Amino acid sequence: MTVPDFPIETKRLVLRPFLKSDLEAVMQYHALPEVQRYLDWKARDRVEVKSALEAMVQQHRFQRPGDAVILALVRRADNALIGQASLRWVDATAGQAELRFIVGPAQRRQGYAREAVREMLDLGFEQLGLHRVFARCSARNQASANLLRSVGMRLEAHYREHALFQGEWDEELHFAILDREWLRGSKVKEIHRNMVA
Amino acid sequence: MAYAPHLPVETERLRLRPFTRGDVDAVFDYRRREDVARYLFDGPMSHESVAEALQARVGHDTLDGDGSKIFLAVEHKVTHRLIGEVSLILRDAANRQGEIGYIFHPDHHGHGFATEAARALLEMGFAGAGLHRIYARCAAANTASWKVMERLGMRREAHFREHIFVRGAWDEEFVYAVLEGEWRAGAGR
Repeated sequence: MTVPDFPIETKRLVLRPFLKSDLEAVMQYHALPEVQRYLDWKARDRVEVKSALEAMVQQHRFQRPGDAVILALVRRADNALIGQASLRWVDATAGQAELRFIVGPAQRRQGYAREAVREMLDLGFEQLGLHRVFARCSARNQASANLLRSVGMRLEAHYREHALFQGEWDEELHFAILDREWLRGSKVKEIHRNMVA
Repeated sequence: MAYAPHLPVETERLRLRPFTRGDVDAVFDYRRREDVARYLFDGPMSHESVAEALQARVGHDTLDGDGSKIFLAVEHKVTHRLIGEVSLILRDAANRQGEIGYIFHPDHHGHGFATEAARALLEMGFAGAGLHRIYARCAAANTASWKVMERLGMRREAHFREHIFVRGAWDEEFVYAVLEGEWRAGAGR
């Protein structure tokens, strides 16, 4: 499988693998309760975040199912690390990966997550050759649900009370998009941009 | 938590009981068929693999941890013929989540037997095992199966497209679920 070229640059962001020196920035969002829900490495304090970061630093290519590409989102304007986005390869035969993203609370509502998610879908489908990318979020997290819908992902599941989270029954949404749906959609937008230019 | 139903469980027309060695021929009679296997993850089964599968089911009569299963043969009370099989699986004990499954011989489709047996399974899961949510899955093309889920008062919670590759083809799957509160309020009855 292709090894992606890093860093990846978008209009306002640089996406690159994590570095051990990112600890302070990761601390800013990693330990938040709403972020913990979908993390692989539970990390509530400095020691736990440090060991989670050490694992994340190694995750930047697909070699076998279970591997992830986890990228830091760095704002080009001020070089601030504002969050992360990842693709986890869950099924090689069927080309499936799970998309996740986190943007720190102070940097939300400015479209950074959307910019990163679009780039991750390009990476997943065009470079990593995936067939389907899915993402999960809490039904209470309207911002994430709206974002996933806005990039063309379809709501495939709405699980009610399937698990307890922090003492309350949780509702979970699953969104997904297939390679042909993404490539068709992004191509149309490309042509549109060229025509405008 | 441990739950073992008192067996057999009787419904109006059916008896749900543990499998015995003598059931191999009756199970093979439907598990060998392509029209049954089409919607399952395994292909059509040989007589030998049915015998092994039934042997492996002996003792699966208690829910006592994640992944524990109850497998039951479904026989018609009047004819004593084995017409299908059902399962109740404890998927997540901490969150009280379970899954039901059913396979019936095509010769006995269309009489509401699957609905009747699955209703007994839901009652076991909620009233017996104290589950909070029970779900069932089927291939989206298996209309007869998801119609049963709808008759049971289950809601369609998921429609997954091309999420796995099964026996050379993309799979499309429905997930239906019902909560204990909905069941107590009379869903599906």
